[in-house]
This record gives sequence, C-alpha cells and structure tokens, in this order.
Amino acid sequence: MANVKLQDKLVISTDTKFLNIVRGFVSRMVRQSDLPDEDENKIIVAIDEAVTNIIEHAYEMQRNGTITIQIDADDMKFQVAITDSGKRFDPKIITDPNILDHIKNKKKKGLGIFLMRQIMDEVRYMFKDGIQNELVLVKYIKKV
Amino acid sequence: MPDFQIKTQTLQNNIVMIKVKGFLDAHTYEELEKTISEFFERNLYKFVVDLSELGYISSAGAGVFIGAIGTAQENNGNIVILNPSNNVKEVLELLGLTQIFTISQELESAIKTFQQ
Repeated sequence: MANVKLQDKLVISTDTKFLNIVRGFVSRMVRQSDLPDEDENKIIVAIDEAVTNIIEHAYEMQRNGTITIQIDADDMKFQVAITDSGKRFDPKIITDPNILDHIKNKKKKGLGIFLMRQIMDEVRYMFKDGIQNELVLVKYIKKV
Repeated sequence: MPDFQIKTQTLQNNIVMIKVKGFLDAHTYEELEKTISEFFERNLYKFVVDLSELGYISSAGAGVFIGAIGTAQENNGNIVILNPSNNVKEVLELLGLTQIFTISQELESAIKTFQQ
C-alpha cells in the first residue's frame, strides 16, 4: 500500500480480559499498514506486554482505570502511543534479564520490557506531571 | 480457535501430556500454572506440553514454563515443548528459551527425551 496514513484509537479498562481486544486492534492496524506480514505477531506481543505492564504495575491489577492505545502509521513508521493515569512506571529503569537466572530463581515475571525492546525500534516513556504516563513504541518500516 | 483450553493426559512412565489451545497471556496463564502445580503435588514432574494449537503466547505465558522447569528438573523430570506454532516459537526464540527447553516436533521423540 503506497503512502498509507493510518490513525485509530482504542480505549480499554484496566483488565487483562481486554488484552484479546487489544491484540485484535493491533492486528487489524498492522495488516492495513506497510509493515511486512512477518512483523505482525511480534508487534502484537510488544503492545500486549506494554498494556499488561500498565495493568500489573501502574494500576496494580485495579480494574477502575483506563488505557488509551493510539496508533499512527505512515510509509515510514508504525507508532503506538499508550497512555494511562496509573502510578508512574518508567521501563528505562528495568535492565535486561538473564534468562538462566530467571529459571534458577523460578522467577516468572519481568520479561515484557525486554521483549518490547527486542521487537520495537524505539521505546520512549514520558511522565506528564500529575496527569498521565505515555509510552511510545515505534517500528520503522523498511523500504524494500 | 478457542480463547483458551487445557487438556491433560497421563502417558507411559508417568509422563503428563498437556495440550494448550488458544492464547496464553496475562489473562490465562494462571490456569496453566495451577494445572502444573497440581501435577507437582501428585509427584508428577515429566511434562510434554503440546503447543501446536496455541496461536499466541506472551511473556506471562512463557513465564509459566520458566517458573516450572526448575522444579521439574530438581525432581528428575523436565518440560518438553511439543510442536509449537510459528507465532509461539518466535516468542520463545526472542526470550532465548529455544536454547534452554527441549523442543520436539514429534510426540515419540518428546517421550524419548525422558529415557535418556
């Protein structure tokens, strides 16, 4: 698709039961974009991990918050901005895990940010004072 | 594809086959974790986990296997992944788990890994 410009937004409550809806939304947007088919599952995983982290850490599994997922794509990049009003949570402070340590310590969590960084070209976090967290994930679209 | 389904079956030599269908994410992983814990309580530690009909996994889902393989191996067992779908294999690779878990394409070879 040439010169594609896509924009859409999804708002969900902070409940993991809506992750399936998030994945459906991201899937539809990736398919409409210029991203190659083989990127679809990875992008879905990255956004799922970001939203899961917000539900688990920023809202501590409380279901009374909302998360907004805004996708903007053109022929250069696929950008996902995720905003919430939960606790401040900057993924930059999380270092990459050692998977063998995870196994040794029977640690099941703490891999989502690592996956986001592996998959996306940019992971940016901003805290807008007193209002909200904004996490921006970008995947560049490579010209063939 | 169903949202989420777990089927279990005990095979020869106390090997447990767990077939997971649908998607394994932060919403569904606890059910699988509970299933594996219940087998641990019955002193069963050898698992073949069939992921051929699992269409999606996130780190929450993979975390179930990461958290359980240590207990299985400490008790002379293991967790062998059987025939993961492409989407699932991709995530296991990104997490570096294909270097750690035995992944078999056939049930017969998965069972054989427990005889070694």
